[in-house]
Amino acid sequence: MNFVAPVINYSQVLPILIVLGTALLGVIVEAFVARDRRYQIQVPLSIAGLVVAFVWILKIHATTAITAESAVAIDGPALVLQGAIVILGIAGLLLIAERKLDSSGDAFVAQAAAIPGSEAERTATLAKLTQTEVFPLTLFAIAGMMLFPAANDLVTMFVALEVLSLPLYLMSGLARRRRLLSQEAALKYFLLGAFSSAFFLYGAAFLYGYSGSVGFRQIREAIQTNAGNDVFLLTGIALVSVGLLFKVSAVPFHSWTPDVYQGAPTPVTAFMAACTKIAAFGAFARLFYVGLSGARWDWRPMLTVIAIATMVLGALWALTQTDIKRMLAYSSVAHSGFILTGIVATNKAGLSGTLFYLVTYGFTTIGAFAIVTLVRNASGEATHISGYAGLGKRSPWIAMLLSLFLLALAGIPLTSGFVAKFAVFSAAYESGSTVLVIFGVLTSAIAAFFYIRLIVLMFFQDPEEDGPTVAAAPLMTTAAIALCATVTLVLGILPNSLVHVIDAASRFVF
Amino acid sequence: MNLILAANPFTPGQTGTPEAVLFWILAPLAVLAAVSMIFVKKAVHSALLLAWVMITLAIFYIAEDAPFLGIVQIVVYTGAVMMLFLFILMLVGVDSSDSLVETIKGQRVMAMIGALGFAVLLIGAIGRSYTGFAGLTAANTDGNVEGLAQLLFTRYVWAFEVVSALLITAALGAMVLGHRERSSERPTQRELSILRFRPGSKLPGAPLPNPGVYALHNAVDVPALLPDGTPDPSSVSRVLKARGDVLDTKAFEMHTIEEGEDESK
Amino acid sequence: MSPNNYLVLSALLFSIGAIGVVLRRNAIVVFMCVELMLNAANLAFVTFARLLGNLDGQVVAFFTMVVAACEVVVGLAIIVTIFRSRRSASVDDANLLKY
Repeated sequence: MNFVAPVINYSQVLPILIVLGTALLGVIVEAFVARDRRYQIQVPLSIAGLVVAFVWILKIHATTAITAESAVAIDGPALVLQGAIVILGIAGLLLIAERKLDSSGDAFVAQAAAIPGSEAERTATLAKLTQTEVFPLTLFAIAGMMLFPAANDLVTMFVALEVLSLPLYLMSGLARRRRLLSQEAALKYFLLGAFSSAFFLYGAAFLYGYSGSVGFRQIREAIQTNAGNDVFLLTGIALVSVGLLFKVSAVPFHSWTPDVYQGAPTPVTAFMAACTKIAAFGAFARLFYVGLSGARWDWRPMLTVIAIATMVLGALWALTQTDIKRMLAYSSVAHSGFILTGIVATNKAGLSGTLFYLVTYGFTTIGAFAIVTLVRNASGEATHISGYAGLGKRSPWIAMLLSLFLLALAGIPLTSGFVAKFAVFSAAYESGSTVLVIFGVLTSAIAAFFYIRLIVLMFFQDPEEDGPTVAAAPLMTTAAIALCATVTLVLGILPNSLVHVIDAASRFVF
Repeated sequence: MNLILAANPFTPGQTGTPEAVLFWILAPLAVLAAVSMIFVKKAVHSALLLAWVMITLAIFYIAEDAPFLGIVQIVVYTGAVMMLFLFILMLVGVDSSDSLVETIKGQRVMAMIGALGFAVLLIGAIGRSYTGFAGLTAANTDGNVEGLAQLLFTRYVWAFEVVSALLITAALGAMVLGHRERSSERPTQRELSILRFRPGSKLPGAPLPNPGVYALHNAVDVPALLPDGTPDPSSVSRVLKARGDVLDTKAFEMHTIEEGEDESK
Repeated sequence: MSPNNYLVLSALLFSIGAIGVVLRRNAIVVFMCVELMLNAANLAFVTFARLLGNLDGQVVAFFTMVVAACEVVVGLAIIVTIFRSRRSASVDDANLLKY
């Protein structure tokens, strides 16, 4: 037996390797550096790693290639999404690293192993211990997210899915305040996540049984030549979709979303709400556009129904929420439906619309959650919506910024959300799914209602006597919010530059 | 021609008879174990039944020309993963059991109908579909392990490399959630002995009595009996006392032997 | 015997695991049911590998085992943390988030 060494073009996968390498350095820092100096090293190290990765992505922006023995596809969509994930990862890291907001430290528990309410927890908090392990964990998650939309076979996709999920399960359970809630969120996220990856894997088994390979190219060729057994193909598509729809929190697989978003520490919520969605939809698009494009008449009806259910139910449930984190969670469910509209379009406009939507949605979501971290009372963040009454009178700047993000989420003109929604709906219309467009526009109107209700609450009601106060925004949070607000506004007014970039990039490599 | 046919023990698309016998003995047992696993009350029993299912699958892997995977299944799954489960069950409490009471009404029936529908659909679909049977004789010519290694280090080398990130994450995560650093120094043995013999110390100079001393039982939850027959509370761990798990010593005290009766025996 | 029987067995085990996940309330048992589902997927991969005559399926099953091992470490760590804070591993006792 002769062994031919595998060919990996390291320049093309370098962004992922840089992030992974930085995460490893972070682990080494955890092992060898004195406790009180870790934070000073971890934050600049992580951000530097992400910046270098972004610069490299810009350098290889024109690449269209399949590398690493056809396990990874580096093409326009992959690079656009990787770039967005890295930038949003920097914003998320800034929020995670923030230590000026909570009087006793950052958003994470002083010592995760200490039992809530115990003496050990109290002494750990007093000793100002911190879990700086969150930085390497975040980087591992980012690396997984970068690989997920670039994965070109089902095994790489499965591994990337786990690489991005495991750190998130862990980090959801590390909140400093309301720890029982946070641990419970971690448990729910973990159990449902593992459940969904079992579905993904079983589906992958059937696609393998159908085509004889786990590579997308071979699956596509098998579909084109109608080589295998259709039963295996359909079972495989259905089960793999269940696994992925869990990750993008589409109805009826969304039940973890509000609980996890509410229970997890808000910086982690911000990070995963934005980046997981981008990565998962990127992988979704590659699997369905590259691997399963020949079977689109089988999966389009299924995804159409799910998109409609997701839009309608997400928007209706969001109406009834009284907690802002839960409201944003259900709004993210509704947005999954809007993004699915772009995927179902199965044309070039649909792909570029989806990519544009994902990028803009990421920035607005991180911005909105960043502002949630600022509105606080004595026991931490005040997430009940009533606490936002009169915010516009107390701190007009923060209220204006939150309104900007909410308007963008609602898709009001002059914000990035409008351009994005317009792009996916017009793509769906172009592909003939008029029903989807009608439902999309109607649910956008419902969704606009609850965003605008919050804005009205902020500006036209008097603040409560002992209501929450807005912390003077410290440096890192300010930087993250400023970045998100700028992108949201600029892409709303002058979307053309990004639209052109994404249009040019919207072609999968086969 | 006839010789070749005779050398090939099974018709195309069929497996040999020994394998069929193996399958029809072990597969019903595996299904039975899996069904009992989700219906038995105690978590430990579930774990043991799952271990049995995994061993059955290992045997099937070996029967299906995947000897390496069969061994790995036993070593990794039953040996490591299931032992970890059992270990955690011991930590959490062996008798941790479910109430098996429905919290959402009708949820159980719904789940059963849904999953059974799914199973019927899947099995019906698979049963109807006939697939060719290629067999692994050609692929395994250089040996199963060599064949796997060839694939693992060529086609799947990237996934293989990325899996390392997963392993590091798991180790880091277990450390974060499990490792507790003491915020105060642990008292040394020297300090403890000084404390013990210092006048006014609550700790006795002599070692504490073991549980069960002079009683008819030496379990940890039975207090020692002092020479006068009264139980000594300091002989039982205070954790057990806090949990209310300390047994009443009455049953274990030495009884005065009734004369005559025992002597005659 | 048709090798499809192995696939039927794997479908049965997968469905039993899925029923268990929905039915049981003990987090550890729920997690064991997920493991059963992963095992069923592995059996399907190994059987398909034999039907198709290539070893890719066995390699994938190999990856699944590694991934499952990592998942078990993280999952059990989370379950133990929860158990230590509230002395119960029932999914229903953990219901602060439901309303």
